Order: sequence, then structure tokens, then C-alpha cells
Amino acid sequence: MSNIDVEEIAINLDNKTCPNREERANGINVYYGKASKLAQDAREGKLRNCERKFQQSSGCVLNFYLTVRLTTIRDAAVIFHAPVGCSASALGYRELFRGIPPSLGRPATFDLQWMTTNLTEHDVILGGGEKLQAAIREAESRYAPKAIFVLTSCTSGIIGEDIEGAVRQVQPEISAKIVPVHCEGVRSRLVQTGYDAFWHGVLKYLVRKPEKKQKDLVNVASMLSYTWQDRLEIIRLLGKLGLRANFVPEFASVEDFEQLSEAAVTAPLCPTYTDYLSRGLEQEFGVPYFLYPSPMGIENTDSWLRQIGKHTGKEEEVEKLIAEEHAIWKPKLEAIRNEFLSLKGNGEKLSVLGALGQGRLLSQTPYFHELGLEPSAAIAQDFDTLILEDMENLIRDKGDFDILVNTFQAAEQGQITKRLDPDLTLTCPFQGSAYKRGKGMTRIHSLRADPLPYSAQSGYAGAIACGEFLLRSWKNQSFQKTMLAKTEDSYKPWWYEQSDPLYYVEKVEEVA
Amino acid sequence: MTIEQSCVTSHPEIAEAPRYTCSLGGALGAVLGLFGTVPILHSGAGCGLGQQFGLTYAAGNNSGGPYGTTNTPCSCLVEEHVIFGGENKLKNLIQSTIELMKGDLFAVISGCVPSLIGDDVDAVVKEFSDKVPIIHIKAPGFTGNSYQGYELFFEALINQHLTDKPLQKGLVNIFGVVPFQHLFWKGNLAVIKELFARVGLTANILFTEFESLEHLQRIPAAEFNLVLSPWNGIATARKLEKKFGTPYAAFPGVPVGPKQTTALLRLLAEKLRLDEETVERVIAEEERRAYRYTEFLGDALILGLPHAYFAVVADSGTAIGLTKYLTNEVAYIPDIVILSDNPPEEYRAAIARELTDGLETVVKPEVVFEVDAHRIRQKLKGRNFLFLLASSLEKHIAGEEYGAMHQSVAFPSYDRLVIDGSYAGYRGGLKLMEELTSKWAGPL
Repeated sequence: MSNIDVEEIAINLDNKTCPNREERANGINVYYGKASKLAQDAREGKLRNCERKFQQSSGCVLNFYLTVRLTTIRDAAVIFHAPVGCSASALGYRELFRGIPPSLGRPATFDLQWMTTNLTEHDVILGGGEKLQAAIREAESRYAPKAIFVLTSCTSGIIGEDIEGAVRQVQPEISAKIVPVHCEGVRSRLVQTGYDAFWHGVLKYLVRKPEKKQKDLVNVASMLSYTWQDRLEIIRLLGKLGLRANFVPEFASVEDFEQLSEAAVTAPLCPTYTDYLSRGLEQEFGVPYFLYPSPMGIENTDSWLRQIGKHTGKEEEVEKLIAEEHAIWKPKLEAIRNEFLSLKGNGEKLSVLGALGQGRLLSQTPYFHELGLEPSAAIAQDFDTLILEDMENLIRDKGDFDILVNTFQAAEQGQITKRLDPDLTLTCPFQGSAYKRGKGMTRIHSLRADPLPYSAQSGYAGAIACGEFLLRSWKNQSFQKTMLAKTEDSYKPWWYEQSDPLYYVEKVEEVA
Repeated sequence: MTIEQSCVTSHPEIAEAPRYTCSLGGALGAVLGLFGTVPILHSGAGCGLGQQFGLTYAAGNNSGGPYGTTNTPCSCLVEEHVIFGGENKLKNLIQSTIELMKGDLFAVISGCVPSLIGDDVDAVVKEFSDKVPIIHIKAPGFTGNSYQGYELFFEALINQHLTDKPLQKGLVNIFGVVPFQHLFWKGNLAVIKELFARVGLTANILFTEFESLEHLQRIPAAEFNLVLSPWNGIATARKLEKKFGTPYAAFPGVPVGPKQTTALLRLLAEKLRLDEETVERVIAEEERRAYRYTEFLGDALILGLPHAYFAVVADSGTAIGLTKYLTNEVAYIPDIVILSDNPPEEYRAAIARELTDGLETVVKPEVVFEVDAHRIRQKLKGRNFLFLLASSLEKHIAGEEYGAMHQSVAFPSYDRLVIDGSYAGYRGGLKLMEELTSKWAGPL
């Protein structure tokens, strides 16, 4: 079905950073239409990013994900080479993982630390290289970290700071490995570029040449939308196969990064998130990888485990495990499915609209089908050709669907939600006020350090927990209905009366 | 008493986890605190979302509301704009925001990027000034922190929008309570408004008032400006004095408990020449009730946990209010008070005086100005305080490292939900005592 082949760009660790997702994989965050048309456009090289005349704050390369995530690496320090506000979102660092009881496997003692160079007008005029070096020295003497991540900002980028020069100069006197991460907010429209920029730094500076292969080690890069219980489920399943999970980057130790090269395989929780790391580990160190599927839902978990079994020589054990697990979980899934199918009382399935990353789009859509839900439309944060083939397979297996591609554009998401009026929307706080509605609504996922079993989504236990969670959301809708009735909408009525969520998108191609 | 300088390095701004965000964040917080003003960010795409995690969530788990979170319009500047300029993008954004969102005032907040690339934001904003009420707050993050952002909001408002108004007797504008940065901003303002009404004054609290523009435009009509902070808001009051001749006074923080609240009412009586008899009658009534309620605290306090040492890490105004209440009203003993809001040098001696001379105890606390979370952590070691009133940064280390009970009272506080709670006013101190006592209380 392909007209053009989607090129794979090799990773070049001699460069100081990765290419942007726009260049590497034709990434976009503006699209509305049928998924099949999106795939066709991608094949024909027709994907374009367009300007929006109306746009909303949605996160940048630094401040969507890196700020809140990198500050949780346990024996590292993070330095934000930025004005003071760029790191404010990391202020929860000391609390994030503390809510997890040590009995659930978190280390009893740990410390996380970050600093800001707090760039001022003075630094903007005179440069902040020396200040960055002072901060690195201070971090070394205070925290004795094993690694120091230096995160850049719009300001450090625009004033032309020579980060590599400053780091090269100071590294000899510092025992921590210094890892520059180029995450200037203005460098890319796609927050996913931040993932790649981070992995580039990890691959270039932190991962060691393998000292020995660890045949039982499985790299798992986990997004912040996977919780502590998801980890426990993965540990449980891999443990039954005699395998160990190497979770990075959240709450990992520097050693966990160093040994990435020694693993038997890199497995995904989110393909778009793991992509650069997976490819880099294979290219540089020969660690095999797969990007699809993620362990969400029963079928997906089956094939996730089978792929791991293939790379670790555990094929037989995996089949035995799957059979055991099915005996436990499949009847429970069946019960959830039956309840969902009975909810409308007319044999119809409940329609569901999920606000997803492109990774979740792939893994969650089949899971919705397992649950007996009808995902006839989806919102994806972004789309790029890294997942093109997997999306084509998804359309082939599960049918076509409408897709709105945007990064947390609250007005666009509110518009399409109101117009499609699905039975259930799965939202996240990044969607503004879209939770106010007359029908079903709940969160799409919990976040990382949530230790509650009812928040789990991964593996078999997660498939059941999440199904029950979604059922529960149907049982009481008072909050969204009351708020819909009693508060003003953020947007004027005409916005919902017209039919185009991309009303404000400029219909001209941007400057290449 | 010692007053320590915040840093010894050659670069005093370098710090672990300072307890504020940037001036763009402070300005955005101020605008989100106004019910009816629409913020428009001219900045990178993450500047708003960053404040969701770093400002509103940090302010007692608050959502940013109908114009906050990802509802906030933003020009989301990227490399093309750095090269070709962001003015056209901003122009489209303002136009579309006016079409799409309801607001009585539009506030363009420009951040680091337009400032570094030289966008003429004023000129773009001016094009809309005959269509809607609109102001431009120039608040690049590298120019300061949240507190400066708050002042920048008022500076823009005063310079670009406010005009002379006939004097409205008894109207008093309230400054110095910084939305979100001060955790209890909503509750504090509500208490102040009610208190003023008791003595026949109208507090123009600005934030949390529907029809925000109307309240903002009334600022020049005020008879008096009151700053409820030892430093923040004074710059704004001075500007208003210069432009409209409105006199002002600063009270060193939002008053906590009867003694401070009475002191504030007497200050108002003097400055605004209120009828003394009325004011004293209100004071007597309020004190009678507040202290009658305090009787219920007596046994838990005296049998349970009397004369406890305590430590405070907070912004200056919050620290002064809480420290004075606990010291002067329930006989707790201040061990150390760390001021984490980086007040300008000129105000520091007066702040320290409030925390020493202003206390009815022979034991004076050590007073430290420090923004660096690491140094704060070190500074708190080896002491014998039983309570640590601080931010949620101290939540988990309070017990482990200091053997103390912890209560979040200052920014950032992720570990509690703050809607309209407050420690302000005659019975606000009791609210604090409820929280502190609930940390340890059991059968006596």
C-alpha cells in the first residue's frame, strides 16, 4: 500500500543533539480526518505542520516532560540552565515517589536534587557559561552525584550559549558524568523531540560499552503515564519468566542507564517515547528491540510477552505463562465486557473518545475493542511516520476511525468532544475544561507514582483494573454534569455550532 | 539574632528549588486570579503548561480554572518566529482570542522569547486597544520571580489602563496578596473583605471578584491603599500614590489571630479616621468570640503539647503572621524563621525586626533569608523544634531529619488542597491550631 518508503534516519551520536521529530519522522501536530487518509497522506509525503491563528499553551520540548521527569533520577543532579520559571514544574521532586510505601518496593531512602542557574538580564547580556560551570561545581560538591544533566532553555539557546564548550572545560575536574540535553523550548513544535533529545544525551554520554551481556535483562522505558502498579505487574510477569526489568528513566539510578547496553532486548511501553533509545541501543550496542505492541489489554500483553520471549529464548515459558494468566484474567475481562455491552440496553456499544499520545493510540484502541467499547474517534497529541506502519495495521485489523491530531489544544478538543458527543471521554487535565459534559468522563490515565491498584493499566492485572475503573466512571456522573450546568464555558457558543475543530488553522503550507 | 545572606558563591542566584516561579508565572497567576480577565501568553508553548505544574498545582493543588490550564491562549513560539519574528502570530492570536473567549479585559503577557528577539509587542497590542480593553505585561522570565510578576501586572495596568476617578469614601484597595504564590490568597482576601465591611469600609480585593475589569478600574477611586505584606505590593502602592495621590500603608502580612487583626483595624482607624467607638466595639465583639472559642483549645494545648518550639520556612508575610500568632497568642517558642521569598535588601531589617522585637518572648528566633532548598535543609538540622511550618518540600524530611511534625503553609504545597481556607482574621489562628493539633492529637 505504500507509495513512498518512510526513510529511517540513522542516529548520529557525534552530533550534539538529535534531529527534531519534524525532520526525523515528518512529525505533525495538526490534522483532522480519517485515520486512513492520514496514513495515505503520510505515505505520499503530504504531512504538513500549519500555523494556528488560535493556539493554547500545551508544553514545550523542556516543559512538558523533561522537567518533571529527569529530576527523579536517583543518584543524579539536574541543572536547568534557564530563567527560574522553566524549572518551577519540578518543585514536586521531593514528594513524587514518597507516597509509595517501601513495602511496594521503593527504596526506603533516596534523594533527588536539581538546581537552576536562574538566568538573569545580566546573564542574557554577558553570557552564562561561567555560571553554568559554577553550578556544575556546586552540584558536584553538594550532592556527589554520579551524573549531572544540564537542561537548556529558550533563553540559553537564543543567546547562543556554548553548552558543550562549557561542559568540556569543566568535566576534567568533575567526577560525575555531565550530560547536556538540548531541550530549548523553541527548537521544535513537537514535545516528542524532547524524548529524543534526552535519549541522545543518554546514549552519547551515559550508556557504557557492555562489560557483560545480561541475558535476563529487559530494558523498559516507562512514560510518566504508567504507574507504580504497572511496574509491579511487569516485574511480576517478567519474574515468572526468570527475567528482570531495567526501568528507565523515571526514578532510575545512573547504573540503570549505564547497563542499558547489556540487556537482552528493549521493550516498549510507549513506542513513540522509546523509539530513539531503542534504535540507538541497537545501532551502537546491538541490543535488539521491538516497538509494537505495548502491554495494554490482554491480546497486546500476550504479544508483548511473546516478543520478549523470542529475544530471551523463553518462547516455551511465555506460552505457559500466557495460558496460566488467561485462566485467571480472561473470565474477569469477559465479565467487564458483558457489563459494558449491557449498559445501553439496546445492544449498542458505548462509544469512547480517548485523548491519547500516538503510542496510546496504537495500544489502547485494540484494548477498547476487547472491553466492548467502540473507539470510533481518537485524539492524538501528535503523529509521525515512526508509527505509520503500525497504524496502518491497526486500521486494517480494527477498522477506520476519525482522528484529531493536536497537542493539548483545549478548544479544539472541547469542540470535537461536544460535536461527537461520545458516551465516554477519557480526558486529562491538559484538556482544559473538556471534562464538563452531560455524559461519561474520566481520566485517561493516572501518573507515575500512584501506588493504588485501581489505577493500573499494564499487563493482565492492569487490563482488568482499568476495565473496572472505566465501568466505575459510568456509575456516577454528577461532577461533570453539575459543572456543565453551573459554570460558564470558556468559549463562545458559535465555536460549538460550527463543524471544524481546525477552524483557526491557516490553510497555507508553512515555510519549509 | 543573625541575618544570613542567601548565598556565598560568586553567583548568588544559583539555587536548588527556589520557592517561586518567574515573573511571567507571577503575572499569569495574577491574571488567573481575576475572574473575567483572559491571559494571552506571547511565549514558548511550555510557559503556560509549566505554570500548571509549577504554580497552580503547587498552590494547594489548584487547577488554573477556565482561562488557566491548557485553556490559556499562547503564541507557542518556535524557531521560525525566532528568525522571522513573532508579531504576526501574536496579532492573529489576539484577534482569535477576542472572537473565541469571553472576557472583560485581555492581558497579553510576553515572556523571554519575544524580548530576546525584539518583537514590538506594544505596537501589536495597541492595534487592538480601540476594540477591547487590553494591556501588555512585559514579563520575561529572566527579569525576576513571581513576586515581581505580580508587580509587573499592576505596573502595566496602571500605566496603560487606569484613569482618574472621583474619590469613593471608604474604598480601600488591597495589595500584597499574590494569587497562587500565596497559598491562601482566596481565603485571605475573603476574610479581609468581610472584616473591612464590619468597620464600614469597602475592601477592593480585586482578585476573586467577578467583573474583574470593573474592580480594577475602581483602583484610582480608592481613599487608601493597604499593602498586606512587608514588601511585596509596596512598589505598586507607590506608583498609585505618584499617579493618583492615593496614600498607602503597609501592614507586615495578612493578620493571623485576634492581636494582629486588632492591630490592623486600629491602623485603619487611624489612617482613615474611622469612628473610634465603632471600631473598638467591633474589636471587642470579635475578640470576645474568638477568645471564647480559644477556650476549647485550652486542654489540648496545655495538657497535650504546651510551649513547643517551632520553625518556619515561608515567604516574609506568611512567616510574620504565623510566627507572631504562635508566639504571642499560644505561647509556642520560635526556634528559627527562614524567609524564602528573596525580599529586596532595603526591607530585610524591618522584616527581621518584626520577627524579633515584635515577639512576646525572651527567646528570639534565628532569622535567615535563604532561597536555596539545600541550604534551608542544612540550616534546619540540629535543632529541637517540634513543628515545622513550611512548604511541602519539607514534608518528608521533617520527621526523618528533624523529628518534627510538618504542616504545609507556604508555596509550594502539593500535599494539601486549598480552596478558600485561610489563617487570616480573628479566628484564623484557631484554624492553624486545628491543623497543628490534629498532627498529634489522641486521647488525653
